[in-house]
Amino acid sequence: MRVGIHIMRFGPNAIRFGLLAGAAVVLLAPVLPLGDAGPYLLRVATLTMLYMILALGLNIVPGFTGLLDLGFVGFYGIGAYTAGLLTVHYGISFWFIIPLAALNGALWGILLGAPTLRLTGDYFAIVTFGFSELVVLVIRNEIWLTRGPMGLPGIKAPSLFGHVIKEPWEYYYLVIGLLLFVLFVVRRIEDSRLGRAWFAIREDEIAAECVGVNIINFKVIAFAISASIGALGGAFFARWFLFIHPDMFKFWESILVLCLIVFGGMGNIRGVMIGAAVLIPMTEALRYLLENLPPVMAKIGLAVSAETGSKLVQARYLLFGVILVLMMRFRPEGLFPVARVKAEMHPDKAILEAEDASLYDERKVTDVEKV
Amino acid sequence: MFETFLDTFSLFGQQLVNGITLGSVYALIAVGYTMVYGVIQLINFAHGEVYMMGAFFSFTMVTAFGVNFWVAFPVTIVLCSILGILLDVVAYRPLRKAPRLAALITAIGMSLFLQNLALIIWGSQIKAFPRPTLPTVFFEAAVTMGDIIITWLQVFILLVATLMMAGLHTIIHHTKVGTAMRAIAQDKVTASLMGINVNRVISFTFAIGSAMGGVAGILVGIYYNAIWPTMGYIAGIKAFAAAVLGGIGSVPGAMLGGGVLGMAEVMGAGYISSAYRDGIAYAVMILVIIFKPSGLLGRSTLKKV
Repeated sequence: MRVGIHIMRFGPNAIRFGLLAGAAVVLLAPVLPLGDAGPYLLRVATLTMLYMILALGLNIVPGFTGLLDLGFVGFYGIGAYTAGLLTVHYGISFWFIIPLAALNGALWGILLGAPTLRLTGDYFAIVTFGFSELVVLVIRNEIWLTRGPMGLPGIKAPSLFGHVIKEPWEYYYLVIGLLLFVLFVVRRIEDSRLGRAWFAIREDEIAAECVGVNIINFKVIAFAISASIGALGGAFFARWFLFIHPDMFKFWESILVLCLIVFGGMGNIRGVMIGAAVLIPMTEALRYLLENLPPVMAKIGLAVSAETGSKLVQARYLLFGVILVLMMRFRPEGLFPVARVKAEMHPDKAILEAEDASLYDERKVTDVEKV
Repeated sequence: MFETFLDTFSLFGQQLVNGITLGSVYALIAVGYTMVYGVIQLINFAHGEVYMMGAFFSFTMVTAFGVNFWVAFPVTIVLCSILGILLDVVAYRPLRKAPRLAALITAIGMSLFLQNLALIIWGSQIKAFPRPTLPTVFFEAAVTMGDIIITWLQVFILLVATLMMAGLHTIIHHTKVGTAMRAIAQDKVTASLMGINVNRVISFTFAIGSAMGGVAGILVGIYYNAIWPTMGYIAGIKAFAAAVLGGIGSVPGAMLGGGVLGMAEVMGAGYISSAYRDGIAYAVMILVIIFKPSGLLGRSTLKKV
């Protein structure tokens, strides 16, 4: 029995209209009459877009090439600290720092990816995890460079033609610009030879190798591009938040981004963006709700102590654990699946039989064994 | 001259004792990873959380319910086994036929879930076993050689670890269920054709691994005098590093890896840099995975086409 959330099907016109309306709301958000909540909502929107960038970046590795990357936040941290340190010490412009941070991310992606990408999936996942933990340790301990646990304050805001960006709406448009750039790059790659090579690797590594795809090279490229997008996101974060701290780049941040893409649909650009658009505001709403839980519950006659409230705020990531488990159980391909990923995730379903009806298909023979 | 030598020696000796203690705990946790991986090729990320839960279960029993430590100890083992079985039945069993990526993500989800559940139940503050709840003998010196002190707690840890390892060896090699475990590790389909109840044996594997993880949790909770909800995450990954170092899937490998890693960590912290104490485990793990992915005692596996 397959239990799943069935997305209603809309006609093409309805979709087009919906997209246009959505785009209009997004672009005009700063001028909407939101009252006092306006700046806060814009911050949440900026955060959401930042996570969309991160989700697009991470998506390349598990979504496009089928490898689990648990160390994405390492590159995010590298980008943030690259940007932060270059700003604090050399006062380099935001517009130079973004490519520099992305390059640094790519460099580390290659350094880590080249020796480790020949490993099988779960070993690779563990290595990336270890890497991101090492990044945090280095940031924390090399105090001469990063100020360690004191964090790095005093990062200057970016400026454009001498105008310093400081209002929430300015950052909002800045992040939209970055997001569109990343989206453009990822879309172009998806449709290119590179993208097709990645999909071939995702579906069957050995078959891809047999038809002449140099899998190591293509995996390293995927990893480097993913890392550079992560670093780009980190650089924006540093110049937006203006303070960075090693604790901001802990392992669970990687899992959060992973959760976004799993929720939306690994491998689907639109899906992972929707994943971020749904889950990030939801996290913020949840935090707001839980922070105000004791007074709200008191109104309906339930006593919740402030201690319990703060515990619940800290533990709100529990929800992400539940989402990951439930998604994998009931809809592993995400809410907006790519047909191929869907077929991979349901190896015993009719989809697969329709996909290749050959008599001797190893996937059928070793159906049970291949886990 | 001779005195400096003695000082150096006693520092080294104390480090050696500490390293062996830590190593045997890592080995206990690592066995849980390696057994599950050997049988169903899954990195059970939630194993570190079982270890953490073990510490909290016994802590709650001795503090909130005033249970004697020697009663709490076996009860914790049982509770952790049940937790392990629940993990398997609720989270992993439905995904037996799913791709590995799905199971791996589920494991991470369960880890996140359990960790935050512990945060809700017990709060984020570091807890410690109150001294009076523990046998006083733990903190007395069992052996004193010059400046080197071995406490009864360290002896107890080593003893428990050794006994459990020996028990595990017996189970794996001299019982029916152990034979079934090895059969499933080799070929699940054929094993099921031979009349082995695959799911039951896998659950049993989880139970054993979790029991050992839970014991490790209690021991570490007492040894470092600290229990907190995220303790499982670092210990889990270090134990995983130990399992990888020894060769994942190999139980003797996990013991050896645990010992080597515990020693490397204590020595590294003592002689190289204490700030990078945790980094040593990660670095060892990454290097082993890159240069010798089959580990010290593991067999290299061929890719199945």
